[in-house]
Amino acid sequence: MSMEDYDFLFKIVLIGNAGVGKTCLVRRFTQGLFPPGQGATIGVDFMIKTVEINGEKVKLQIWDTAGQERFRSITQSYYRSANALILTYDITCEESFRCLPEWLREIEQYASNKVITVLVGNKIDLADKREVSQQRAEEFSEAQDMYYLETSAKESDNVEKLFLDLACRLISEARQNTLVNNVESPLPGEGKSISYLTCCNFN
Amino acid sequence: MADSLPSEFDVVVIGTGLPESIIAAACSRSGQRVLHVDSRAYYGGNWASFSFSGLLSWIKENQEKADTCEETEPWKDLILGNEEGIPLSKKDKTIQHVEEFCYASQDSVEDVEEAGALPKHSTSVIPTSSEVLEEASATTEEECVPLDGQSSGVKGEETSPESPSENNAKCPDDHNSVEVTSLGEKHSDDVTSDQSVSGTENEESTSIMDATAEPKKITYSQIVKEGRRFNIDLISKLLYSRGLLIDLLIKSNVSRYAEFKNVTRILAFREGRVEQVPCSRADVFNSKQLTMVEKRMLMRFLTFCLDYEAHPDEYQAQKDCKFSDYLKTQKLTPNLQHFILHSIAMVSEADCCTIDGLKATQKFLQCLGRYGNTPFLFPLYGQGEIPQCFCRMCAVFGGIYCLRHSVQCLVVDKETRRCKAIIDHFGQRINASYFVVEDSYLSEKICRNVCYRQISRAVLITDRSILKTSSDQQISILNIPSMEPDQPAVCIIELCSSAMTCMKNTYLVHLTCSSVKTAKEDLEPVVWQLFTIVTETESEGTGASVQKPQILWSVYFNMKDSSGVDRTLYDSLPSNVYVCSGPDSALGNDCAVRQAEAIFQEMFPSEEFCPPPPNPEDIIYDGDGTQAEDPRFSNESEANPETLPEE
Repeated sequence: MSMEDYDFLFKIVLIGNAGVGKTCLVRRFTQGLFPPGQGATIGVDFMIKTVEINGEKVKLQIWDTAGQERFRSITQSYYRSANALILTYDITCEESFRCLPEWLREIEQYASNKVITVLVGNKIDLADKREVSQQRAEEFSEAQDMYYLETSAKESDNVEKLFLDLACRLISEARQNTLVNNVESPLPGEGKSISYLTCCNFN
Repeated sequence: MADSLPSEFDVVVIGTGLPESIIAAACSRSGQRVLHVDSRAYYGGNWASFSFSGLLSWIKENQEKADTCEETEPWKDLILGNEEGIPLSKKDKTIQHVEEFCYASQDSVEDVEEAGALPKHSTSVIPTSSEVLEEASATTEEECVPLDGQSSGVKGEETSPESPSENNAKCPDDHNSVEVTSLGEKHSDDVTSDQSVSGTENEESTSIMDATAEPKKITYSQIVKEGRRFNIDLISKLLYSRGLLIDLLIKSNVSRYAEFKNVTRILAFREGRVEQVPCSRADVFNSKQLTMVEKRMLMRFLTFCLDYEAHPDEYQAQKDCKFSDYLKTQKLTPNLQHFILHSIAMVSEADCCTIDGLKATQKFLQCLGRYGNTPFLFPLYGQGEIPQCFCRMCAVFGGIYCLRHSVQCLVVDKETRRCKAIIDHFGQRINASYFVVEDSYLSEKICRNVCYRQISRAVLITDRSILKTSSDQQISILNIPSMEPDQPAVCIIELCSSAMTCMKNTYLVHLTCSSVKTAKEDLEPVVWQLFTIVTETESEGTGASVQKPQILWSVYFNMKDSSGVDRTLYDSLPSNVYVCSGPDSALGNDCAVRQAEAIFQEMFPSEEFCPPPPNPEDIIYDGDGTQAEDPRFSNESEANPETLPEE
């Protein structure tokens, strides 16, 4: 078996206020579980799920905030090298929607230029408690050039769709990218993770 | 976001510099409940790195006269009769003599602001008054530029490489699609470099430049606009490839949060010229500047240094005399002596003894070749990433993070003389068993017996490399020996845009030395030897081939060096309060790692320091279970990380 058992690897990062259901979205997608067992998050950095899209294996590495969003203290390095961001709010919580511009500012500051951002309104299973109308969210996401989707991690509504659509977009972006820069493919900005650097040994 | 903070922890860590962050990660990893706070709005304290606008705000903050705020002590009402409060310092006084200079053309500077990552649209869908205010304050004002907080985004300015329409275009220097390419990585740095000249033009400037040979002069407004391309470290360091920090990053798996580049060149400055120092075996053989005889001399000496202990007869007699004198007896040309003394051993000519010089040379040689042709690595996006990586690790294991959170005082039990709690700026009492505090948070009263040294720093943004070669993407280190008796030796690190620390067609130059006088007085003589400032006439006549790089912008400042302070000098500090120091002036990070490990071991003698965490790659959730190991995150040399039980 080859070292790389996939055709693409993407880093997807979740952000948004505490309690909007970021971890639930990830758990639902990667494990099919809801609600996620609480203590289990400890020590888990990111979740992996490999999906197949049009015959290609796409490995998604999905990073959660590790609770650092609770007091607005996410490290910048969290955003580095993310291919996509899922900006999540809770449709039953006006406050979580109002905070979106603040989150956008963080993205502006720290994320890569070509990061794909998706806005997600979660908890649509609690329709009777809805505080943010779909229309408002759509207008907002349109103004920000973001893709928008409403989900329920609990009922598993749109969760697969969210990640699979994102994977499709990432693939097409990556394709386009290699087409455009096929010659200059060694990316000048490219660093290497330490273990990767351990290639040459002499003396 | 008015989430309330729990009030019971095992460990409270105050300050997010490197040693504090490592301790926080280690404690959290070993199952302690950790609260990690910083009074600043950013991570890292004096280990932080900033975007250009961020640095301008930092400069402004540190230039403002420390307003003597009256000592109100509201915490006094919050402590009990058998307790005593030790107030912490409210204002950081570690930075002094900040002087900023702008030499880039400022002609077209009007409504410039830093361009973000996203296409700019008004974020006014949900306008609240506080938000508008914040927006205004987020744009940096600075004396030399009339900036307007209300300006309507980045539009206009055809020269903006960041104009919205191009935002979706790919530029190869960014990290997109990276993972794919980096996994299949085949290229060496040299390949990158050969192409990067043309690559740079293509990607950046579709709209700016016609294919002129010389890139256009960078203006101040371009620097401001491309400000987020900059990651400017307050302290400039490199990672020795066999240093303690690399070992710790690998062992703890924190390395997965960062990416690194090799330092590509070791430079020397002799007789007014910058030249490359051949230091690896391959370099020596390929060197065009060395004669055959010199090559042999150098190889012989370096080979000896690698295991000098095995040949005591070669140095024993001279082990206590000066290394520089010892080198003179070693059949080396002056040229080679200079290389070895200043660029390889990187020790002082005046007061380094032979044995220390040999040790330093050996360390350099041992680090060589682990990751590349030089002994050093540099973290992409700057050194400021490293403390954050450890913070992430701490958070992943349940540590709680609060920036912008200051602590009024430590609460000490009068009887046991142990610290039992802190009182934060909201007046909330937070109990813990151990307290880790960064030196700058301690009040003057506690530190009155401590005598601090200073570090002199300069940061320059320049238009070209100090040594032009076929590749313009180099990370270089250059040590300038002291030229006059009262002048310190200066360490220079030059970073290129692919280190993700500066915009295209610029270089970020860090100068560091132990202070003798103010930063400007210490470093300016070296700056003027190597650099020049932009002059109007020069920009047209590009005739002269050996031009010094031009400084577009620079800042000088002094930073307090609190390393190596003997704990007993801190006045009446309870035994369960541990003090971390700020950055030291050394090139590597050993000091911080050693301190963090020592403090952790003192707190928890029986616990392992930062053991490897379970690898997320080992937790398999999809059905087939045939995922291969991902070489990016695995660590071949270490034992298998423990795995989480599968559900």
